[in-house]
Amino acid sequence: MSGIVVFWLLAAIAFVGALTVVATRDVMRLVLGLGAFLVSVAGFFLYFKMEFIAIAQVFVYVGGVLVLVLFAIMIVVRDEIGTPALSSRFSLPAASVSVGLFLLLIGTVGPEGPALSAVGWQGGMPELGRELLGTYLPHFEALGVLLLATLVGVLAISGKGESR
Amino acid sequence: MSIVVVTAGLFCLGLYGVLTRRDLVGVLASVELILGAANVQLVAFGAAARQPDSQALALFVLVIAAAEAAVGLALLLAAVRRTGRSRVDELTEVEG
Repeated sequence: MSGIVVFWLLAAIAFVGALTVVATRDVMRLVLGLGAFLVSVAGFFLYFKMEFIAIAQVFVYVGGVLVLVLFAIMIVVRDEIGTPALSSRFSLPAASVSVGLFLLLIGTVGPEGPALSAVGWQGGMPELGRELLGTYLPHFEALGVLLLATLVGVLAISGKGESR
Repeated sequence: MSIVVVTAGLFCLGLYGVLTRRDLVGVLASVELILGAANVQLVAFGAAARQPDSQALALFVLVIAAAEAAVGLALLLAAVRRTGRSRVDELTEVEG
C-alpha cells in the first residue's frame, strides 16, 4: 500500500512542477519547476523498477539539460526577466484543445490502465543490456550517429553569427 | 484514477504550455513536459506487460529528447544573436 502513496506523491510533485512551468512569469521559477518535474519522472522510473533509466534521467536532464537551460537564460533572457510571458489571447482555445485531448486520451485508452499494484518486475538491468546490445544494436548505433550529428549541428547553429 | 490519468494530464498540461507560452524557453520546457509524460506512460505499460523492451525504448526517447533540447536551445541562441528577440510571436522574419 505504501507504493501507492509513493506514486501519488510523485504525481503531485510532477503536477506542481508542470503547473509552474506552464503558468509562471519568472524564468528562474520555470527552471525550478522543470527540475522538479524531471526529478519526479526519474522517481517514476524508479517506481517501475528501472534503475538504469532513472539514473540516466537524472544525469542527462538534471545534470545536463537543466544546466544548459540555465546557461541559455543567463545569456539570452536576462533583459526580459519580469516581463509577463503569458499571452492571454489564445489561452481559452488552447485550454479547450488541451482538455479535449485529455478527454480523448482517457476515452481511448480507458481511465483504468495497468493496475498500480500489479506493475513492476525484478532485475531490469541485465535485460536492458541484452536488449541494447542484441535486439536493438542497430538502433543503439544510430543513436550514437544522431548524437554526433546533434553536436555538430548545435555548433554550426550557435557558433557563428554576429553578436548584437 | 490511474497512471493513465496522471500522464495524460501532464501531457495536456505540456500541450497547453506549448500553445500559450510566448518565450522560447517556456515552449521548450513545455515540450520537455510532453516528452517526459509520454516516456512515463511507455514505461508504465511496459512494466505492466513485463516487457524488457520498454526500458530500451525509454532510453531511446530520453536520448532523442535531450538532443532536441540541445538543438532548440542552440536555435534560441542563434535567434537572439540575429534579431535580439526571444519571443515566439516576435520572430516573424525568415531569412537565411
